[in-house]
Amino acid sequence: MAVDKKFIGKQYAPFVYEVGREKIKEFAKAIGETNPLYLDEEAAKKGPHGDIVAPPTFASLYAGGPVGEMLYDKELALNLMMLVHGEQDFEFFEVARAGDTMTTNCVISDISEKSGKSFVTAETMTTNQNGRPVVKARWTFVIRG
Amino acid sequence: MNFDDIKVGDAITEGKHPVGKYQPHYYAGASLDFNPIHIDPDFGKMVGLGGNILHGLCTLAFAAKTCVDYAGGDPASLKRLKARFSKPVKPLETVIVSGNVVAKDGDTATAEFGASTNKGENQVLTNGIAEFRKI
Repeated sequence: MAVDKKFIGKQYAPFVYEVGREKIKEFAKAIGETNPLYLDEEAAKKGPHGDIVAPPTFASLYAGGPVGEMLYDKELALNLMMLVHGEQDFEFFEVARAGDTMTTNCVISDISEKSGKSFVTAETMTTNQNGRPVVKARWTFVIRG
Repeated sequence: MNFDDIKVGDAITEGKHPVGKYQPHYYAGASLDFNPIHIDPDFGKMVGLGGNILHGLCTLAFAAKTCVDYAGGDPASLKRLKARFSKPVKPLETVIVSGNVVAKDGDTATAEFGASTNKGENQVLTNGIAEFRKI
């Protein structure tokens, strides 16, 4: 079933996420990371950021929060059984540090159909507690058949 | 690798990322994405995926690791990371990320990358772009 194009432009409430020190380590371990800047407090303190920082795609958590809300939006009613992630584009402005508070705004930027599949794209913009941009992202999902 | 040493035409050091049977479960726990297509083989079969599949963002995390490792290990060097999830990755496959530096302009170097699995010639990530900044 086609996704109604009238939802292009729909925005979600700003999503606030505090980057947890232990969560960074959990995430890093789950993706097979060994980089001491993510995992080793002592090494990270002597490193370029003075504390542990998150791997780039940790943005999936703080920037992906409102995207999850979109996926489960009852009004949009996406068929999650047939939905897969199609494309991802992250633009990184600043690293995420343990203790940072991220605020992410999310808007549905495109809805289209091609070869019997539906495509839904969300755009997110995340800023940190200092008001500086952290990550801009485009998330494209495909609903098969 | 320092930014100044990155040259157009250089190959990004290949990254090999084995996907264990329970990798989708580890990533589900870390990312809070518990969609059953990732953690339930029966559900994955029912919806035509042939079993449970790894999260695309986990495959992209592997690509990010390969890119950051190539650029010297500081995630601040990664300016952009983009890819298309062309085919699903299944447990017990190995994701192999490779690419080449295609442009360097001032403070930005651009690489094109892709990822395949060791099961056949599956291109699981295509149209990959990684940009590196001078730090």
